[in-house]
Amino acid sequence: MIAKEVDFLRMSARQLLTKRLRVALTVLGIAIGVAAVIGIVALSDGIRYQAIETIKAQSDLTLIEVHPMTTEGVTQFITDSNIAALRTTPHVIAVAPAFTDSYSTNRQTFLQVIAVSGDEINKVLNLKYTAGRAFVPATPEVVFGADLKDRLQRNEGIRIGDTFTALVRDYDANGMPVDREVPLTLVGGLGNRDDQFDNYVLIDATTASRIRGNARGYDTVFVRVDDPDAVFGVVDTITAQGLEAKGAFEQIRAVNQFMDAILIIFMIFAIFALFVGGLMITTTMITSVYERTREIGITMAIGASENDVIRLVLYECLLIGIIGGIVGDFLGYLFTVVLNTVGKPFIIARMGPEFTSIFGNEIARLSPDMVVAGMAIAIVFSLGAGLYPAVKATHLNPVEAIRGLI
Amino acid sequence: MTDGIQTISLSKQFANGVTALTDISIAIRQGDFIALVGRSGSGKSTLMNILGGLDTPTAGSVSINGNVVDFRNRKNLIDLRRSQVGFVFQQFNLIPTLNAMENVGYPLLFNYVPREDRNERAVRLLTMVGLGERTGHLPHQMSGGEQQRVAIARALVGNPSVILADEPTGNLDSKTSAEIYQLMREVNGKKNVTVLIVTHERELASYCDRTIELRDGRVVS
Repeated sequence: MIAKEVDFLRMSARQLLTKRLRVALTVLGIAIGVAAVIGIVALSDGIRYQAIETIKAQSDLTLIEVHPMTTEGVTQFITDSNIAALRTTPHVIAVAPAFTDSYSTNRQTFLQVIAVSGDEINKVLNLKYTAGRAFVPATPEVVFGADLKDRLQRNEGIRIGDTFTALVRDYDANGMPVDREVPLTLVGGLGNRDDQFDNYVLIDATTASRIRGNARGYDTVFVRVDDPDAVFGVVDTITAQGLEAKGAFEQIRAVNQFMDAILIIFMIFAIFALFVGGLMITTTMITSVYERTREIGITMAIGASENDVIRLVLYECLLIGIIGGIVGDFLGYLFTVVLNTVGKPFIIARMGPEFTSIFGNEIARLSPDMVVAGMAIAIVFSLGAGLYPAVKATHLNPVEAIRGLI
Repeated sequence: MTDGIQTISLSKQFANGVTALTDISIAIRQGDFIALVGRSGSGKSTLMNILGGLDTPTAGSVSINGNVVDFRNRKNLIDLRRSQVGFVFQQFNLIPTLNAMENVGYPLLFNYVPREDRNERAVRLLTMVGLGERTGHLPHQMSGGEQQRVAIARALVGNPSVILADEPTGNLDSKTSAEIYQLMREVNGKKNVTVLIVTHERELASYCDRTIELRDGRVVS
């Protein structure tokens, strides 16, 4: 069986060798299409990779913030069962439920308060203290984020160890605001995290509930995931519970969506190039069938079936596709090399030296999958383009073909 | 009669209304060496094409070695061309990119005969037709007579029971024509192959055992 197909393939190869220049030009046509696809995907992947790596380097990707989802004015609060489900979700290594509140200082500095369990939030955020210590549960002790600590020390003179007055706003029976004074003690300051915690006040959840005078439901859960690649799976689990997930992963998702959109637009042009390559194959094969009308007639007269004729023509297309795929992959590789060696310094020079780190690696990335895909695209397009000439060949009348009447 | 070729009331009318054959009933025994003669347009080639399964009749039937050819069954026609009939054409019609050995073995490709077997059979037949030393030559490197010898070897490679030759010497000089007829005669004798030669040359037809003459699509003798 295989030997038979090899025989057909050999016969088709012989045919191609008789028209080298035409075949070479056809191969070039399909190769340019493949190279365009590979180049565009490689460039897109490179930019996507750089953007995601930058986000990973600058963001805490494995931290997810979970919030209640509000749909058509109805808010689904975070329940204990939600939290229990989060704790058992694969790849989740720590969960810290919290609720938010807002106080102010005597000088009306707004304080965004996060009420948490100290142990749990430490596990999730791996908090580092540059001054003082963590708060003790069930005491009016608080910890400031790095920026808030510096700001209040500079503007209001509040230092580690100081007890200061926080204003907690309530509303009376008439709905009028009433500020209540609550003494709090600053016991620690967090190191700089470059995230929202730099401006937060951390307080024990029990203490925060007592300050408000009632037990509060959770409106935020901080979730730590063990693997950046597992984040999207955990996010899916969270949203499946009817909750909203936020975090640095959203930036990656946005980058992916943006790059996908760009890729689709670029691919339209690449597909045009491939289409032109396909047309070249169709033209080449139609010409070939036309030139070999008599030969095909003889072939049918001496016992070839329609399938045999189709196979002979399509094997020629297959060979063109394979060679086109190889050349296209090579051209695509050259394109990425040129882009990474010549294009990268050019882009950095245009964008400024601060972008050097962003384009620290390659700006075009050629993966083995792309090489295989390039080959597959070339073969599929070649075979597709050869179908019409192949079927046309079988419709030849052998008698007329042999007599040269067609 | 079971072996050989038999046609009963064979007729052929083309789509343009031209009648090529009318009520042709002939019987050719296995091993006969027959000349099919007639003027241009008398229906010789049409009859040969129908006998070889390259064309279909509008009426009548054809039997080869007792088997009625089913002209509606494409597979049956392909099998007929692969295993029962060998063609020799006026223009030789060799594949220009294949050498003599490959040309002779070419029909066996479609019978899925392994390459080594194809080559072996091709060399044997080329030796038989006197071209054992020219197996590697391409058609354009050979004379017309040699090309026709290769074509005869190609027609024989599938061990057919019938060889249909359409003006096989039409492009050859008289000396070479005689040699080709001599070769076909030898083939006919050695292999007991029925040979039907279409020709308009009466002198060459005299080499044959019997002559069937067509005129305006009818058998006249």
